[in-house]
Parts: sequence; structure tokens; C-alpha cells
Amino acid sequence: MIPGAFVTRRADGAVPPDRFEGLGAVALDKARSLGATYADIRINRYRTQSVLLRSTPDWTTGAVHHVPAVTDEETFGFGVRVIHGGAWGFAAGSSVDKESIARMTSEAVGIARAHAKLRGEPVRLAAAAPAKDTYRTPLETDPFEVGVAEKIALLQQASDEARKVPGVFSATGFLEQRLEERFFASTDGSVLRQRIVQVAPEYTATARDLKARRTKTRTYRPNAVCGGYEFVLKAQLAENARRVGEESVNHLKAPSIAPGAKDLVLLPTHLGLTIHESIGHSTELDRAMGYEANFAGTSFLTPDRLGTYRVGSDIVHVFGDRVMPQALSTCGYDDDGVKTKRFPILKNGVFVGYQTTREQAHWIGQEESMACSYADSYASVPFQRMPNVWLAAAETPRSLDDLVSGVDDGLLIEGRGSYSIDQQRYNFQFGGDAFWEIKGGKVGAMVADVAYQSRTPDFWQACDALGDRSTWRNVGLNRDGKGEPGQINAMSHGCPAARFRGITVIRTE
Amino acid sequence: MGWDRDRAHGMIERLLSLAGSGDWQVELTARTSSYTRFARSEITTSGLADDAGLVVTAGREGRSGTVGTNDLSDDGLKAAIARAAGMRDLLPVDPEWVEPLPPQTYPALGKYDDETARARAAERAPGIRSILALARRRKLVAAGFYETGATHRAVGNSVGNFGYHPATDTELSVTMRTSSGTGSGWASGYSPRFSEVDAKSLARRAAEKGIASVSPRDVPPGDYTVVLEPAAVAALLMTLQFGALSRRAADEGRSVFSKPGGGSRVGEKVAHESVTLRSDPFDPRLPATPWSAGGGPGGGSTDGLPNRKVTWIDRGVLKALYADRYWARVTGVEPTPAPGSLVLDGGTRSLDDLIASTGHGLLVTRFWYIRTVNPQTAQLTGLTRDGLFLIENGTIAGPATNLRFNESPVVMLQNAEGMTPAVPAGRMVVPAIKSREFTFTSKSDAV
Repeated sequence: MIPGAFVTRRADGAVPPDRFEGLGAVALDKARSLGATYADIRINRYRTQSVLLRSTPDWTTGAVHHVPAVTDEETFGFGVRVIHGGAWGFAAGSSVDKESIARMTSEAVGIARAHAKLRGEPVRLAAAAPAKDTYRTPLETDPFEVGVAEKIALLQQASDEARKVPGVFSATGFLEQRLEERFFASTDGSVLRQRIVQVAPEYTATARDLKARRTKTRTYRPNAVCGGYEFVLKAQLAENARRVGEESVNHLKAPSIAPGAKDLVLLPTHLGLTIHESIGHSTELDRAMGYEANFAGTSFLTPDRLGTYRVGSDIVHVFGDRVMPQALSTCGYDDDGVKTKRFPILKNGVFVGYQTTREQAHWIGQEESMACSYADSYASVPFQRMPNVWLAAAETPRSLDDLVSGVDDGLLIEGRGSYSIDQQRYNFQFGGDAFWEIKGGKVGAMVADVAYQSRTPDFWQACDALGDRSTWRNVGLNRDGKGEPGQINAMSHGCPAARFRGITVIRTE
Repeated sequence: MGWDRDRAHGMIERLLSLAGSGDWQVELTARTSSYTRFARSEITTSGLADDAGLVVTAGREGRSGTVGTNDLSDDGLKAAIARAAGMRDLLPVDPEWVEPLPPQTYPALGKYDDETARARAAERAPGIRSILALARRRKLVAAGFYETGATHRAVGNSVGNFGYHPATDTELSVTMRTSSGTGSGWASGYSPRFSEVDAKSLARRAAEKGIASVSPRDVPPGDYTVVLEPAAVAALLMTLQFGALSRRAADEGRSVFSKPGGGSRVGEKVAHESVTLRSDPFDPRLPATPWSAGGGPGGGSTDGLPNRKVTWIDRGVLKALYADRYWARVTGVEPTPAPGSLVLDGGTRSLDDLIASTGHGLLVTRFWYIRTVNPQTAQLTGLTRDGLFLIENGTIAGPATNLRFNESPVVMLQNAEGMTPAVPAGRMVVPAIKSREFTFTSKSDAV
């Protein structure tokens, strides 16, 4: 820590946590007295601190401006969910007192009543063992206890390093810290307290050729994790900044790709998002059943395909998981109060498991929820959200060099670029952050203006080799959107480096 | 208790009085929203959320710190003030800091409707019943989202500026899929006024599209003359709103409106001469705030510049780009508020006429999952959805399998060949457009 650094310490909230259980009982009792067959209340505090430093030359003098932008936002409130007459009702407020909680519980029951007549089959919840428990993200240094001056200094150091590279126009560093203090109580008898802490560092350098009206970026995005500030330090932003700066300049100078069918070797920092979009979203049961049809869409993985449909090649094993240490979706219990777990999604390339909540399990004849319920705010309705979805590494030794050596004409892709996928998760187009050509089994120079297009089952069946554990990385995504009103969610997608044969590559210039 | 002008003003004054000396800027946002979701032809979730929060920026001699809180008690305000000031004092000087705005005159925009503010589940239920009834009659599966809300916003600062803006919104979107899953239609409506969103007519449009799109035939990817319905046009233009219309992005060489060698293309012809793109916060069909929709200090959402009508592209010529006060000062241009929504002036042709004048082309209902592929050309990718139709010899020859496109909205505007009158779509007011050589790159199996 920098001597004298100010610590932005949160003032204690007006409602001490030891009163939550009593306040929760107000909602549960009120709901019961109004005839609700189920109710839960979440009393949650959220804090998000974003620290950004942008270094850009002044328009007239060319002197470098280091422009800080720091925000620290905290919200606190409650949300009550009830089932009445077989229909859901939900209401939320930010005045956490007995009177408001009782009033909003009545509102939630009123909403459920209004809609019960318009509902066919009543809501049915899978059993969940009542629990009284506490879960805390393991961490060494609470990121909210580290002063903003130290964080700015870290970003400034990275910026100074990157801008030593001739041709770097601007550099932007970003640290985000997020805290969720969740209290949950339900009429099933659960009382749960959880404290989730996430950190996400990243750093981008931009190179520019004003004459050619061309700019290219390079982003270093170390893994976003559930954990403490120690992960920000381990990410070595400054140590990587020179390389990031050089690669932004190389990216700018790199020739455009010649389009055509090519073999791809995808690094985890890139492949994580491809897994997310093509396998993660397509195996959400609410999508498959039509519950997201109006917005995000449905899924090609319909329930009749469960257990039989081949998505990928034999070597592709994918898991849903909310217990993996440090992964962003990891917690003790989901927002239905169900203990989190790990479950298979693809086994030997075949579709074997959906992501589910308590409400959804019986839709596919299952007795147990996969604990995938989450709401991004006390004021948001919990619904099925993606857990950590990860691809297993090869069990026999295979290095990145081994994957590359089998490619005659191909590309090595690192990091995230633009991405787009259709509403049933078939057709997709992915860019990347950096691209190198592979010729005759060797990685060559950087190339630019690359995107690839494929169809989910074709793509995963073209996967002919995975790297071993030494190539496996967890990759955190902290801004996934779903639902109406829109909600965000964070999860991780661990994966090894992987090779895909004969994928259509387009030029995006 | 609602957030009328006096209460909002009182809250901001309270914060400023507790804050004491220094530069302080405050944004208040209080929103009550009520919504119903339906899918598989039944209600799925519905809810009511009521919240209010402040974003507080403390400034002094070029330093600033910003915090947000929804604890509006005196203790909560004091804690926010202490945190903002603490942060300000520790951060380095922001070389792009601008002084707080002196008192401004903000326009009154008339975006508030009492009936909409009061609308709850019971008021939305008849509309939803009519949608579900139509779905049953036509043997379709309905899904959708119906939201009504009231948002009260206020801005203020320690040198006496104050603005207040109440607004309401109603949004309904409907998807109608055939039970076989081989056809899908969609329609959406938005208005600041509840009474102006007609559930029945949206349901009918979605149902017609759903039935008409059943069992599409494959069409090869390639360049097509397209007739883009207003929802498709709005989705493409929305991508220009925040990136390409920024003067700074253009000046710095980062946008489609950058000039080779530096500077922007303001004054150049960038689109077909039939194209006039404006923003008009006074248009009663559109959402807008009385102040700029961008460029706030720290994490604020506005720099407080009064909003006004701006013509961005006039008969094909780029006339203006938005610039916050800092960028305006260093480049010597007039500060220009960022647009909250856009109006593309239409033409006089009918949709049928645009189709009838097309020998071989595609009619696009809407686009989905649009992402920028290359900011320098504004190249986007995305997919058609909920009704793509083949046009042969001036008539609709039948539904087509969805396609992925890779195309720039600027090129689409350059290649425009005809427009209908402009109508509300996607929180904008835009026409249907016929445009040639629109590039599709691959087929999608999705329905």
C-alpha cells in the first residue's frame, strides 16, 4: 500500500445485518397470512467500484493526459417473491423497514393474484433441503480495503510502460471490484448469508495510423475472479504492458487475412467466450422451453435431444459448475436457496444436461435443481442464469506446440473481439483480440481483420485436439446479459487451448 | 410518495448543504417500474420495483470523485459525501476536468403521463389477455414483455444549476411462434403514453409475421437489394448513436466519420441525398431528457448541456457531431449534446411500392445480435430474425431462411433507393428503406 493512501471505507448501513432475520420474518409471515404457498425474501447490499485511467495525448500539445474516472456505487434493498394461486409475484424496495417490507409483500401477492388467472399450469418447485448457513468468497486482501490512489498508481505504472513503445496512441487501464452481501430467507426454512467478492483487471493499448485512418487495439485481460486484490497484483499489469503496447503496434502494421477455410488454434482467453455463447446459452432450460423466446431466443438443444444429440466430437466434455474455486459464478447457495454443485452438460460430445432452477427441474422430469437461479439486484426477479461452464482438458500430455505443429494453414487466436450468434445458437461469428498465422506447423507473424463463422454443432465436431492441463485457464466474463428487464451475470469458462479443423474465416476490413 | 419537482429539488439542496464547500454535482434518478413477462402463452413473471439513487461528484481544482448510493437518509447522504470527497482528494488531477455549469435553461419536454405512471399489472392484464387469446385462436405460441414505468430525474450543482425531468414509458414486445417451431413473428411498440401502445395491433402484426414465415426456403448468402422495415432500420442506426456521432472519436481517427490524416468528415457527403438524420427531444413519440445523453464527469451520465434539436446529416451531408464541453473547447467547436434517440426523415413511398419496385431482393422484419466488427468502416454483423422474405418480380415470393449480414449502416444509407414516411420504431422515428447491395455472408438455421 502507498503510505497515507485513503481507504474508501463503507459507512455501516443503517440496517445492521443481525436484524435481517427478523425483517425477513415480516415478509414470510405476511405472505403466509395472505395465502401464499411459498415466499422468499432477499435483503442484499451491492457495491461496485470502478477505477479507470485513460492516457491520451492532448489534442493541441500532444502532452499525455492521464484522465482518471473512479466511481463507487452502493445499493441496498430487499426483494420479496411469492407464489399465490400457482403464479409468481415479486416486489422490491430500498427502504428496508418492517412497514415497507409488509407493504411490498402485499404488492407481490396482489401481482400474483392478478396473473394467476392468466396462467395454465401452476408453478411447482423441486425440493430444496432447508439450510442455515454462511458462505464467503475466500480472499486474502479485501479489494475495497485497498485505497483508490494505490489502484490508480498501478494503472499509471502500466500506462507508463506501454507508452514507451513508439506508435502507441492511448492506453487505458481498468479495475472493477464488485461485492454482493446476500441475505436469503424462505418459507421452506432456509436462512442464508453470503458474501461474494469479485475483481476484474484489464488493460488496453491503442495504436493509430492517422494517415491511413486506421486504429488497432490490444487488450490484456487477466482472469476476472471471485477473490481478493491479491489477484489484481498477481495479474502483473505493468509487467505485461510493454508486450501489450508492442502487440498493439504490430496489430496495426499486420496485413489483412486472406479469407477461406482454415484450421484454428484457439487460446483459452478467446475460446471462453465461444463456449459461453455456443454451449453455455444453448443449454439453458428456460431458453429451450421458450421462456426467453421474445428476447434472447430459444435453443437448438430442445428437450427431445437430451441424452442423444451430438454437439461435439468425442473429446469434448463440458460441465456446469458453481463450486469451482475462484470462478465468478461460484457461491454457496443459489437465489432459490439451493446448495450449489457441479453437473455434466456435454459428455463425449453428447448433450447430457441442462442448467436448471427449482421451478424448472420437473419440466424435464428431474427431481433436483442444478442451482442456477440468480438475480443481479434485490430489485430483480431471480431466474435461471448461466453457471461456470467449462471444457475439460485432455488427460494425455499435449502442449500448445503440439496443437500448432499439426496445422499446415491456420490461425492462432487470443482474446475477445466482436461476437454475434443467432437466437437458437446455431450460426455465429467471432472476432478476437490478436491473431497470428500458422504455416507449416509454426506460429508466424501477426495478421489482422479476422473473424470466423460457423454453426455450433459443426464447429464443436470439428474440434480434433485439446491441450492438456498445462494449457487450461479459467476465463471470467462479468457482464453477461439476459432477460426482460435485462439483468447481468458473471461466470467463468475454463478451457484448454483447442484445435478446430476447416473453419470459415472472413476478412473484416 | 412521488418525486415531484419540490421533493427532487429539496433532496439535491439537502445534499449540497450537507456537502459544504467545493464543487459538487448531483444526479437524482428515481424510478418505479412495473412489468409482466409472458411466454408459452402464459404469464411467467411479473414485478414491481421502486428505487431512487443519487450519483454525487465532488470536485476541487481539477480533481473529482464520484459515488452512487440509494441510501437517501441524512446518514446515507453524509456517507456518500465523505466518500466522494475522500476519493477526490486522493485522485490525480484530471486534465480534462471542466468547471461546473452555471444555471442553465432546460427545455420542458412533456414526456410525463399520469395514466402511465399509475399503470400496474391490472392495467396491463387486458392487453395481455388479448394477445394470449389471439395466440390461442391462431394456434400460435405467444411470448413477450410489457413494462410501464415512471422515472423522475434531476440534476444540480453547487453553483446553482438545477434541472428536473419527469418521464413515463410504456413498452410492449410480442413474439408469436408457430407450435411447430418453423415460423416466428415479432412486433414492438413504445410510447411515453400507455394509451398509445396498442396490444391488439402488435399481437396481430406478430401473428401475421409468424404465420407468413413458416417453412422458409434457403436463399444463398450474397449481395441483395433489401427492403428494411423500420425496426430493422432503427437497429442499424442505433449503432451510430453512441460511437460514430462522437466528434472526439472522429477527430481521433477512431470512427467511420474520421478524415484520413486527422479531423472529422463534417461538411462531406456521407449518405444519399435523401438522407436527413436528426435528433429532436421535443418529438412526443420519443424518449429524451432536457440535458445531453452523454459526457458526464466521473461516472455521471450527463455533462448537463441543455438538449436541443440537432441535424446530424442534412440531405446526405454530415453537418454535426456531438461534443462535450471539454472536446468543444480544445477543438474550437460548439458544444453539442449527445442524442438520446434519432429521427431519420422519411420519403413518400409506401412499403408495397418499395417491394413492387424490387426485381430480386429480401424484405427484412428486424435484425438481431448486432455487433460492431470494424469501427473505422462502421461494419456490423448480425442476423435477420422473425420474418425474412424473398422478393421476386415485385412481389413477396415466400419466407426465406435467416441470414447473417456483414454491412455498414453508412453504406446502407449511401445505397438508399427509396423510403416510406417515418414511423416510431425501436425508440426512434425512422422509415422503411430500400437499399441495394446489402451484404449477407452466411445462412442461419435459427427460427
